[in-house]
Amino acid sequence: MFDRDIWAEIFNSIKNNKLRTFLTGFSVGWGIFILVMLLGSVNGMTNGFHSQFNDDATNSIFIRPGSTSIAYAGFEAERRIQLKNNDIEYIRKSFPDDFENISGRMFRRTTARYKSETGSYTVQAVHPDFQVIEKTIITKGRFINTNDLISSAKVAVIGRKVKEDLFKNEEALGEFVEFNGLPFRVIGVFTDDGDDNAERGIIAPISTYQRIYSNTDDVDQIALTYNSSYDLTRALEFSGRLETILKRRHKVAPKDQGGIRIWNYAEAFSDISSFTGILDTGAIFVVMLILTAGIVGIGNIMVFTVKERTKEIGVRKALGAEPIQIIKLVLLESVFITALSGFIGLFVATGILAAVGPLMNSPAFTNPSVDFGIILTVTIILIIAGFFAGLLPAMKAARIKPIVALNDK
Amino acid sequence: MIQIKNLHKSYKMGSNSLHVLKGIDFSVEEGELVAIMGSSGSGKSTLLNILGMLDGADSGDYVLDGVPIENLNETKAAQYRNKFLGFVFQSFNLINYKNAMENVALPLYYQKVGRKERQEKALKYLGQVGLKEWATHLPSELSGGQKQRVAIARAMAAEPKVLLADEPTGALDSTTSYEVMDLIQKINDDGNTILVVTHEPDIADMCKRIVHLKDGVIVEDKKIKQVRASAYV
Repeated sequence: MFDRDIWAEIFNSIKNNKLRTFLTGFSVGWGIFILVMLLGSVNGMTNGFHSQFNDDATNSIFIRPGSTSIAYAGFEAERRIQLKNNDIEYIRKSFPDDFENISGRMFRRTTARYKSETGSYTVQAVHPDFQVIEKTIITKGRFINTNDLISSAKVAVIGRKVKEDLFKNEEALGEFVEFNGLPFRVIGVFTDDGDDNAERGIIAPISTYQRIYSNTDDVDQIALTYNSSYDLTRALEFSGRLETILKRRHKVAPKDQGGIRIWNYAEAFSDISSFTGILDTGAIFVVMLILTAGIVGIGNIMVFTVKERTKEIGVRKALGAEPIQIIKLVLLESVFITALSGFIGLFVATGILAAVGPLMNSPAFTNPSVDFGIILTVTIILIIAGFFAGLLPAMKAARIKPIVALNDK
Repeated sequence: MIQIKNLHKSYKMGSNSLHVLKGIDFSVEEGELVAIMGSSGSGKSTLLNILGMLDGADSGDYVLDGVPIENLNETKAAQYRNKFLGFVFQSFNLINYKNAMENVALPLYYQKVGRKERQEKALKYLGQVGLKEWATHLPSELSGGQKQRVAIARAMAAEPKVLLADEPTGALDSTTSYEVMDLIQKINDDGNTILVVTHEPDIADMCKRIVHLKDGVIVEDKKIKQVRASAYV
């Protein structure tokens, strides 16, 4: 394999047939180029989809109340449904194995003031579990905890933008901010990968807000994450059970779409995953067809080369070349042309992706790239392809009778 | 060196079978220079192919340097050819993208001789045919006579037991033919066994023995007084 003479002969053969080698190699290189570009683009789309969703845990479920659209159980239609603390307790007790984290949500606008700076923000009052559900990243301090909840402490975790607005470069932790005139102590600062808007928010314990706002136990929404070991079917089955039970508790008709809405990420996510999966499979299928054409082309050129060199191969055999040495010569040339042209396609395509990728950052298309695994697979495919492209011609060459070298009269 | 007994060979031509060699008995001693003559269709090329292990006989014995040549697979035949035989062809059959030295070194490559030693030997044999200064030239830059001399150097480089020359002067004019024959005679003078297939009487006369083939049998086998080619050069 690392015989200098064999390589010298292969280079000679290629050198003497530059155009032919180029044209055939081009089809393989082109196939690989398309493969890498397609897979890179599919990757970019997948990344784009995922980045749209990645500010929430991918196993989260949101329960939002609305108004009933169907009269049911003695109630008229258009009745507003209000979730309560005991709904959360009920879910906790009824589905201990199905959920991982659960939190109520309350949204209130507030005017926040620190020294001379003021701003208007939305306060989300939640349970401590909410940190996991929303994938909130705390950069300083801490998130709200159970103690804050029990004591209805007036504490707040503020978004990065809020901190910049109110505190500029000052230290925010431990300082008191007035929310609609009530002092809240800042216990943490958070960031959010998903969007800047979320960083213009404030998080506070839900019990505090329920007390401030007329001592209610109202909850605007319930957010939870389901058991992360669940597959799509079990996740959907769980959200189905949740819906049935909550509708029963609030006397909402089972087929009423309006009263209680349950939104399950798994559903949205599985649609995207299967979509990008189909794209991936489609891309690989198309490229396999193109590559097949390229490989047949290389097989063709090798048949032709063997035919053209029939006499030379006959002479070599007369001089003592064994069949295996002839096979090696043809196979190596085939693998070499395939691999070389494939690599050129690979490098050009990855080069283009690397150069253009960072420039394309629309929400639906992020960081188109190929990973090392794809490159490795492509390399192996190329070598195997080259081997098979050369196999038949090589065997044909090995069967050439040296007698043809003599029959030249 | 070569013993052949009752050699038969026939070719299938559609439904007919063409009996080409009809019982050849023939032996060659070491150091002989034998011309095999005959018109086309006489079976002389078939005989040379069998002697060169390029083709198998249907029946009969063939012993080369004490080794019975029978039931050869391709690999074994290739090894025997490499070890025992040197070929010189009518149309030279040099490899056109290799220079003279590389052509001569080729059989040594198949003998798995190292690169450096190969080049030294190739140069030595090119020197013997008087073409040392043409070592780096491609065949296309050589005249017909020079090409055949390179081919002879190539055949000799493997140091074979027997040199088989198939119409070595068939593509050359008479002056060049005599030069080539002069070279063949000199190689023979060194003790090498050489078989020359030819249909030209003057070339045959430059050998030491003439074997006449006709319709697949030897009709005449005589020792002659060799005409030295150097007289004509």
